[in-house]
Amino acid sequence: MTFQDPAGLHLVDADPRRKLFRVHRDAYRNADIYAREKELIFGRCWLYLGHQSELRKNGDFVARRVGGRDLIFVRGRDGRISALYNNCTHRGARVCRERKGTARNFSCPYHGWTFDTAGRLLSTNTDHGYPENFNEGGRLNLRPVERLENYRGFYFVNFNPRAISLYDYLDEARTAFDNLCDQTETEMIILPGEHSYTIRANYKLLAENSYDGYHLTSVHGTYFDFLRDRAAGNEAATKQLESTIQDYFTSGRTRSLGKGHAILDSMVPTGRPVAQWVPIWGPDVKKEIDAKRAYLEAKVGKDKADYIADYQKNLVVFPNLVINDILAATVRVIEPEAPDFMRVTAWAIGPQEESAALRQLRLDNFISFLGPAGFGSPDDIEMLELCQTGNAHSPIEWSEISKGFTGEGDVLHAWGRPDDENHIQAYWTQWDRVMQGLDTLEA
Amino acid sequence: MSNAISRRDAEDFLIAEAELLDDWKMPEWAKLFTRDAVYEVTSPASATPLEDNPDTSLFLIADRIDRIEGRANRLMKPGTHAEFPRSKTRHLVTNIRVRAGENGEALVRANFAVYRTKEDTTTVYMGEYHYSLVRETDAVKIRRKRCILDINSLHDQGRLTIIL
Repeated sequence: MTFQDPAGLHLVDADPRRKLFRVHRDAYRNADIYAREKELIFGRCWLYLGHQSELRKNGDFVARRVGGRDLIFVRGRDGRISALYNNCTHRGARVCRERKGTARNFSCPYHGWTFDTAGRLLSTNTDHGYPENFNEGGRLNLRPVERLENYRGFYFVNFNPRAISLYDYLDEARTAFDNLCDQTETEMIILPGEHSYTIRANYKLLAENSYDGYHLTSVHGTYFDFLRDRAAGNEAATKQLESTIQDYFTSGRTRSLGKGHAILDSMVPTGRPVAQWVPIWGPDVKKEIDAKRAYLEAKVGKDKADYIADYQKNLVVFPNLVINDILAATVRVIEPEAPDFMRVTAWAIGPQEESAALRQLRLDNFISFLGPAGFGSPDDIEMLELCQTGNAHSPIEWSEISKGFTGEGDVLHAWGRPDDENHIQAYWTQWDRVMQGLDTLEA
Repeated sequence: MSNAISRRDAEDFLIAEAELLDDWKMPEWAKLFTRDAVYEVTSPASATPLEDNPDTSLFLIADRIDRIEGRANRLMKPGTHAEFPRSKTRHLVTNIRVRAGENGEALVRANFAVYRTKEDTTTVYMGEYHYSLVRETDAVKIRRKRCILDINSLHDQGRLTIIL
């Protein structure tokens, strides 16, 4: 070879002595490595499936592709939530052809095999030709996914029956879920509507971008222009805006949370429905947000309430779940479809009991920046596609991810400034450990 | 009611709007809206896009006038990376239907297909426009423009960074 020298297994190059951290670009572009990722990363990690609030009534289901496998996430007629392979045990047709709905049972359109909402085979649509005990031991029931567990209503699957528990897998990222869920007096719910779109880039580029503080001013200048234009004439709003932007690189931090998970805590002057008021929202909203903040303080104490209310939190749960609790909160799941192509599905999430005014602000804030038509995300997407196409047509082998690398301590738990890359180093360190079989994520 | 907005008026207006967009005259486009206007694109996944309310469900776009102007201004800047280099677009507007609303307002439905070419890739956004048009002094203005896409996701289009 040739055009691009393959790196083999040596894809993550950390050099503590020289304080350098590099990733070989084959990790973003090579088909063999992608195939190995499907087996090792997506075959062994816990992968986000859906949220409990999406399955309200018995029989409710959503059909979703997770790690390349078509699944049905369903609340059975008995109320039990399960994850089933969307694949008839007879000849393999997908038994569920709608993306969501409420089912009495799942009936295969091909030969009419019918399964109940727990996956049990009810009928083969014939009385002839099959032996007694044809479905012995339930071997022809819709197959349940090997593991399904939830943490605070967020359901994940794992295709490895021997995997460690979700609780252990999430490690310190559990506190990020706690901080999100503690914002509500009732429960967090996925709001109606969805953003589903694609990016012509490797899925890990979006994982990196989702909590990258370094690119904020270079990529999102036009968004800050918009905020400035909107604040024009409002002295308090302008002052708050400028001082927050000024302090961005020193007012937050990145924190790696173990097992490749990490979070960016930062200050961005957009306001947050829970619970940071900005002058542009006016005095009526201030009363509501003050009340929300007082509720938080009473519930979790002042320090934690300040953290929950003031910081924008960009969380990446290794390998492909993003929960950004920023100007609004989004659950964003990244499904790789090829080395250079991903599908992204994102939802808004918010407190069930939220007032109409705050709910409106939440959704308005969300689409002002996030999503495929916002003033922020599309510019990120363009950057990812530039990286992908640049790397595909270049002999240059290594990407630099050295910023903030000290070469000391445990990379999987390293902290840095908001514009450092310690958390991205943690992601890649875990990726490398799983790909090399150093961490099997098994009990 | 000589002042009513006829089908011909609506058709002329929509075609003129499409011309501004294809000519990338975004600030001029933003001036077509009343100060209380909204420009909306519903979630492609929605089963009820006509009834959906951006205050309670996630849209792709739900701009009031500040963001209509912001969107137009942003598209003129080279720092809007998603549209640099700028796309070429072609708005096709057909099947225009007009019925009278209240206070001289015209409720207009029309079919659209918008082609976008960014670098070497061409995609199409197709669907139905739902407008509320009003007369303000002498000019026809948009009070509401809701675009309902005939797609289930942006799988083929990737993103929506042009104006429909």
